[in-house]
Amino acid sequence: MMSEALETGTPSFMDRFPQEAAVVRASLISSFIALFLGAVFGLIQALHRTDVFRFLDSQYYYTVLTAHGVLMVVSFTIFFLVGVFTWATVRSLDRPLVDIRYTWAWYGLMAIGTLMAVVAILGGFIPSTDISADVLFTFYAPMQAHPLFYGGLAIFIIGTWLAGADYFRAWYAWKQEHPDERIPLQTFMVLTTMLMWYIATIGVAIAVVVFLLPWSLGLLDSVNPLLTRTLFWFWGHPVVYFWLMPAYLLWYTVLPSISGGRLFSDPLARVVFVLFLLLSTPVGIHHQYVDPGIAEGFKMIAMTNTMFLLLPSLLTAFTVVASMEHGARQRGGTGLFGWLRALPWRNPAFTGMALAGLMFAAGGFSGMVNAGMNINYLVHNTIWVPGHFHLTVGTAVALTFMAATYWLWPQVTNKPIFSRPIALAQVVLWFVGMALMSNAMHVMGLFGVPRRTAEPQYQGFDFVASFGSITELRMQLALGGTLLFLSTILFVSNIALSTGSPRMSGLGKPLSEPLSPAADSPKVLDNLTLWFGIAMVLVVLAYILPLASIITDSGIVDPGVRPVPMLVDAANGLGPISAVTDAASRVVAAVVGVVP
Amino acid sequence: MGEEQVVREIGHDEYDPKGTLALIGVYFVILLVMWVFMYFVEFLGNELTVV
Repeated sequence: MMSEALETGTPSFMDRFPQEAAVVRASLISSFIALFLGAVFGLIQALHRTDVFRFLDSQYYYTVLTAHGVLMVVSFTIFFLVGVFTWATVRSLDRPLVDIRYTWAWYGLMAIGTLMAVVAILGGFIPSTDISADVLFTFYAPMQAHPLFYGGLAIFIIGTWLAGADYFRAWYAWKQEHPDERIPLQTFMVLTTMLMWYIATIGVAIAVVVFLLPWSLGLLDSVNPLLTRTLFWFWGHPVVYFWLMPAYLLWYTVLPSISGGRLFSDPLARVVFVLFLLLSTPVGIHHQYVDPGIAEGFKMIAMTNTMFLLLPSLLTAFTVVASMEHGARQRGGTGLFGWLRALPWRNPAFTGMALAGLMFAAGGFSGMVNAGMNINYLVHNTIWVPGHFHLTVGTAVALTFMAATYWLWPQVTNKPIFSRPIALAQVVLWFVGMALMSNAMHVMGLFGVPRRTAEPQYQGFDFVASFGSITELRMQLALGGTLLFLSTILFVSNIALSTGSPRMSGLGKPLSEPLSPAADSPKVLDNLTLWFGIAMVLVVLAYILPLASIITDSGIVDPGVRPVPMLVDAANGLGPISAVTDAASRVVAAVVGVVP
Repeated sequence: MGEEQVVREIGHDEYDPKGTLALIGVYFVILLVMWVFMYFVEFLGNELTVV
């Protein structure tokens, strides 16, 4: 196989590292299964909340919403991430992983964790079981999920920790053989991202393992919702960069080659990843601008850090576009804007990634609005926010992943993509669908339409649109959601049909060298211990005082807070009764407290 | 794919990404205009505050 491939073209990743290619394939397939299921739930939601087609009772809306959120932003994104990171590490170090059985072990943990969480969530559709997890992606207490959900999440995260350790092991083994060399760029990106992940997951690990899991098992009577929320967002913001970093890796290292050019600057790419390691975590409180119990000053610090975080994204916009322009000019493009025509627009991998980048620029704008404390109040908890993150994770990340799959899949399977024209139509359809859906969401958000609501249609009250009409926007949202669903079907079936393509050799795609190589940058950029240390200091500075004040004000656990096993109590009729007795006991306590 | 269609090699020193600068300039202008637009959206339906 190997010699045959060498004769006919560049050997593919699968030719060179068949065992690692199998892990990459398994990770990508897991990711696409999650994408497909997530898309089904996405379509149900889009049609339900716009009142175009409702076939489920609205009480199941939150089961659907939780499934959509968790499958898309935990399973789809992170399974794809470990696939790409495994490929990138092995490819750039040009050596196999240390022990493939260990690699399969972390993949197995991630798969088991996902299955546990998905079973808990889907249990919500069967009221006769006591299994449910209608807690949405953010799993805010006092909403309570079945222990399977928290346990699954914990096991999944342990799997990702072990995956990170696998990449560090491979790098360490490589370093013994190459003591004086700079870390290869893709491995550098993988390692800095995983360091960021180790810091970020401290928050969610404490929230889940110390509080929520014991609480759902009945070992803890109550939790402090503000504390677990804050710990959630300690992880909840950096996780968005965890989704984004594999897309950045692909934009920096694959997109220039597909464009026919070379990465503009390797050092600039390293600086960007270091900045993300430093700044991703000490910003989580910007998701809590309207949370009472956190002083405005702490929110102000989070806002300042967030604005600094725009810097690496703007650096990326420059470097990635400059690399594409280099490709276009090498392909004969000229003029101030005319070079855009020389880009390989017929290549689905290029077009998908370029359109994803374009949408990310729009997402950058709505992100700035979210991040600003004053105008955040205007859009907080409105459907503007889902509009924003469907541009970022829903397009910049998701569309880049799908487009990159058209480039990567043949290299890990030795089989070409079933249909390139369908692939091209698919990425364009995603862009069009998202432009409609996200635009409608942003505009409706400005008119006050809430997010996370099954039936945002009220008696005796109508939302007023300053231009157009709310009905028109609802139709736009439903149409966009439907196109996105169709695009997902085209993607998944194209990949599925590719398994029937004839096996070929020489499908490898070499990556071009950067114009400005790593040697142009100071060696300190590769000092991962230093950057990890500074990142930890920044996190401590940003979080120690807010966490201390939350714990001082309302305790490690808050005995006044009762769990809400969604729907189960209401179905039994116990909800109102317990609410009344709870309120009565609080009134008595207050009276006793006041009367001397 | 696209990699094969390179008609001329452009090295580090001869490459000046002025098209990128132009595109980013356009993006900043859009950001600025939208930022101003946001101000009016925030006050749309309300009277503008005149001190």
